[in-house]
Parts: sequence; structure tokens; C-alpha cells
Amino acid sequence: MDQFLLIALNGLTLAAVYFLVASGLTLIFGLMRVITMAHGTSYLLGGYLGYTIARETGNWILGALGAAAAVGLLGLFIHQVLIRRFQDDDMRVALVTLGVSLIGTDLMLAVFGGTATQVPIPKEYQVGLDIPLIGEYPLIRIVILLIAIAVGVGLTLFINKTRYGSIVRAGVDDSQMTSATGVNVRVVFASIFVLGSALAAFAGVVGGTLFPLLPGQDGTYLLFSLVVVIVGGMGSVPGAAIGAALVGLVSQFALVYAPTYSLVLTFALMVVVLAVRPQGILGRKAIA
Amino acid sequence: MTAPRFARNEDGLVNPITPAGSPRTVWQRFGWLGWVVVLGLAFAFPYLVDRPRFWLPNIGVRSLWLGIIAMSLVFLNRYVGLLSLAQVTIAGVSAYGVGYVMVTLDQPAVAAIPVGILAGTIAGFLVALIAARTKAIYFLMITLALGQVFYSYASQAIEVTNARRGLAPIARTEPFNDISNFYWAVLVVAVICYLLCRYVAASSFGLALQGIRDSPERMQALGYKVNRYRVAAITFAAFIASIGGVVLVFDRAQVDPDVVSLASTLDVLVVAVIGGIGSLGGVFIGAIILTLLDNFAQDFTDRYMTLTGIVFILVLLFAPAGIAGIGKQVKRVIDRRRKTTVDDAESPQQEPAAEQPTDEAITKGKQR
Repeated sequence: MDQFLLIALNGLTLAAVYFLVASGLTLIFGLMRVITMAHGTSYLLGGYLGYTIARETGNWILGALGAAAAVGLLGLFIHQVLIRRFQDDDMRVALVTLGVSLIGTDLMLAVFGGTATQVPIPKEYQVGLDIPLIGEYPLIRIVILLIAIAVGVGLTLFINKTRYGSIVRAGVDDSQMTSATGVNVRVVFASIFVLGSALAAFAGVVGGTLFPLLPGQDGTYLLFSLVVVIVGGMGSVPGAAIGAALVGLVSQFALVYAPTYSLVLTFALMVVVLAVRPQGILGRKAIA
Repeated sequence: MTAPRFARNEDGLVNPITPAGSPRTVWQRFGWLGWVVVLGLAFAFPYLVDRPRFWLPNIGVRSLWLGIIAMSLVFLNRYVGLLSLAQVTIAGVSAYGVGYVMVTLDQPAVAAIPVGILAGTIAGFLVALIAARTKAIYFLMITLALGQVFYSYASQAIEVTNARRGLAPIARTEPFNDISNFYWAVLVVAVICYLLCRYVAASSFGLALQGIRDSPERMQALGYKVNRYRVAAITFAAFIASIGGVVLVFDRAQVDPDVVSLASTLDVLVVAVIGGIGSLGGVFIGAIILTLLDNFAQDFTDRYMTLTGIVFILVLLFAPAGIAGIGKQVKRVIDRRRKTTVDDAESPQQEPAAEQPTDEAITKGKQR
């Protein structure tokens, strides 16, 4: 029983990282209908930048914010220069951003090298927390789980309850009508892209705190965030949370009970969801 | 099939652009000459280069199998409107099939090749069953994810794929251990694959596919089983990719998870996009460019991947039809210039910016 709970908790903290990455992707896709294949690059670059800043300043929060800001700016550049011209042609956007990720992988390898690095955390968080039934559990993982929940709730409220959120949703459903009412839809789209990229970078810092940062993780996290949004349903933040929880739990339990096939089982989850519900668990049915 | 009475374009449709009776363009009249020249150069390639031992395996054979795999991707994109990133995986399954029969079961190549092609084709069929219900960007993501499933399986299943170390050696037998003979054989295979793709595209099956690509609802209403056609097309493309996989495995002399890695998938995608994602023959141009970059870029830069990525993005931004489409693109620009200078005042908007022909553009992904 103890072990079962421990694995579940591990799965959920892993899911927290997956959720943070995937929420950025689901925002960009769900609101702009644009798939960015450079999302994993944003994650890894964010992690590396956060590591550099946190190591220099000794401040984790500064690292996280700095990374998010820098990658957000990069996202703005990518969106304005490479994507905006054919934003409606999502296949071409996917391919261009795939090219960006190809370049990003190579340059990050050149700059940050191939050795594993980990974002340093403040001393006071490097302790265990006594949890009933499980025993001692690293405090930092609990903190990260709480951060992810806070971000998820914040995003959902932002999109569903605020005025800005309703502008964004209107812009998605009918961009021409929305701009006719005096909203600058292009600014809205650009800011969503920046927000999504910044979220990915933030996730990179969080993920880089829990696990080592390595070349190749950009591809891995791109795939996992794709799987999460496919399972959860495109464009739905709660869907991304459910998807992330499922993927995190499946991969952790599989790692214990069927280690060789952990990845295969994770992707099998996606195949099953697709077969039963092609639009994902909370996805809206495709509108023609 | 009797000789067609009308000039058919690459879609197998009677060319709608040239009105009956208008003079055929130079290309239509002497197009076959171009093919003769290209094929002649390709066959004479071993005699044209200074160091055949370097050029034949690194540029020649590698371009051919990259091209064959990319051609299966282009076939799907152009005639079915699906962009599949699983073609490399399917080729990899076929390569593993060959490797398993030859290394683990210790059988000759004659037995291994059919097994490999069959394995790859079946893998493609399974991919089709999972993915054919989805379209556009979803199809892209699902095929990408399925590819990674196989990658993780291949790098872990030690009893089947020998995990990271892979299956080796897979030697070529007489007379193909001579690199020139092998190159010619592969060239013939590539030409056959190309003709096969053209034939299928021009058959009634291929025409139905194009109908489904353009308007699935209407084809459904006409009584076509849309999904079955898609599955069949994906399976056919998998067959072509499997042939590419067989060539690949005999070229590399071994098969390991790198064959199906994300990087290899991107390689083939880059080949297809640079060559022209709407052109079955253009992929070979793309393949040659990629292999040349791969082999010579390291002379002046360490960042070969960055260079590839930049070329890739530039092509997507400025020549979406790829190298193969640049001719037409230039022609269109010149035509437009000429038209506007001749009668700019008379009819400033004679044509609402002609829609790009489907064979040029990347199939637009729209699944809302």
C-alpha cells in the first residue's frame, strides 16, 4: 500500500511538469489553432536559462521568471517573423516550427554541451516532508505539485472568467467579427503565443529542478506534451490536467511493474483514447 | 491500359490548363528528353565521379533510399492529403524484419527481403487503422507519436531488436557486394517505385483518393468508403517505404534504433520539403541536397543541423513547392509582372489571385 501511494505521488509530481509544458501547448493550439513543434525547444531552453540564472544569482524564482521572460520574447520573435504570415495554414506552421526545433536542438548542444545539469534549489526546500502513510517525501516535489495546480486554476479562471479571456475566446471563434468590434486580434494572438512559450520555459525550470536537463529532452517533452493534449483534448486546460495526470501515473506505474514497456504503455494510452474518443477526453468536437 | 489519348498531368488527370488545340509548351513536347538525360546521368553516375568509393555509398545510394522513403511521404501528402511522419518508422520496421531474418534466424537475403517488406507493409496497415480517422495536424502528431513508440520499443526489446546495439552484420551477397552493381540495382528499384506511384495515382483508385482529399463528404455521399480508401493508400505508401527500408538496411549493413529516431524522421521530412512536397520526382533532388550538405557542410561548419534547419525554413517560407516547384513559381511571378505592365489600368483585378494548384502547396491542414 505504501509503495502504491508513493508511486501515485511520484506520478502526480511528474504529471505536474507535464501539465505545465502541455498547458502552454494547449493554449497555443486551442486558442490559435496553431501547433508549435518548437514547444520542446522552449522547454529545454527555459530549463537551461533558468539553470544559468539561478546558478549565477542563487535565486530560483529569479531564474524561473527570467527564463519565462526570455523564452517568451523568443516566442514573440518566432511568431511575428515565421508564423504570422501563414497562421491559418497549420501544416506549414508545424513544419516551420519543426525546423526551428531542429536548429534549437543543435545550438543548445553547442552552447550548453551534452552533460546533465540540474537547476539548484534553495537550501530550505531540500528537506523531506512527513506525509501520513507514505513517510518522508521531498518537499520540493510537493511545492511543484502545488505550483502546477495554482497555474492550472489561474489559467482556467483567466480564460473563462476575465474580460481578456473572453476577448481571446471570441477572437478564436470568429476573428473577423472580433476585430470588427475594435479588438486588435493580432495582438491577442501574439500575446497568447508569448504566454504559451513562457509557460513552456517555466515548465523547463521546474522540470530541470526535479530531473536533470539533457540534450534530446526537447524532443521527449514535445512528444509528451503532444500526447497529453491529444489525450486531454486540444485547447482545454482542465483536459490537459487530466491528460497529464493520466500520462504521469501510467508512466510511473509502468516503470515499476513493466519497466521495459513503460514508454510503449504511455503511448498505448494515447492510442486507446484516440480509438474511443478522437477529439480527446475534454476536447470539443471538431467544427467544420 | 491503352496509351492515353490526352496529355495527362502528374495527377493522372487530363491537363485542364492547356485548352484543346493550343500549342503544347516546350516542356510538354520535349519533357521525355529531360527524363532521358536525368536517367542517363543517374546511370552513368559511377563513371562521372572521381572517387566512386566515397560518392556511391554516401551520396548515391543514400540519396536513393532517402528519396524512396520521402516519396512515400509525398505520395500520401499529395494524393491523400495526409502528412505522415511514420514513414521512416515503417521503413525501420522493414529494416528490422530483414535484420531479424538474416541475423537472428540466419537465413539468406532472398528470404529476408520479402519478410521485411511484408512486415513494413503490415506495420503501415496498423498505423492506418489507428490514424486514418484523423486528419491534418492530428494525423501528423499521431504518426509522430507512433514512430516514437516504435523507437522506444526498438531501443529496449533486447530479445527482438537487440536493443541499442542493433542487428548486424547484414551483408550484401554476390553480385551486389560490388558498390556499383548495388547502386544500379537500387536505381532500378527507385525508378520502379516512382513509376508504380505514378501508375497508382493515375488509376481509378488514385483518382478516388484525390476526390477524397478534396472533398471527403462528397465522395462519401457518392458511396465511396472514405476510410477504407485512406487505409489502402497508407498501406500502399507503407509498401513503398518498406522497399526503401530494405535498401537502407543493406546500405548500412546493420539496423539499430538510430534508423527510426526522431532525427531520421526529420531527415526524410527535410528531403521531402526541400525537394518539393508535391512532387514525386523532386524528392530525389532534396535527397541529394541533404546528403551533400551532410557530407560537405562539416568542412566549413560544425553546425550541420543548424544549416539544414535554416535551409528547411527558408524553403518553407519562400518556396513552399520546394526546388521542384521553383521553375513554376518563377514563371508565375514573371507572368504576373508581364500582365500587370501590359494592362494594369484596364483591369486591375482581372483574377482574384489564382488559387495555388494542389500539387504545389503543402496540403492545408484544417481540422476544426
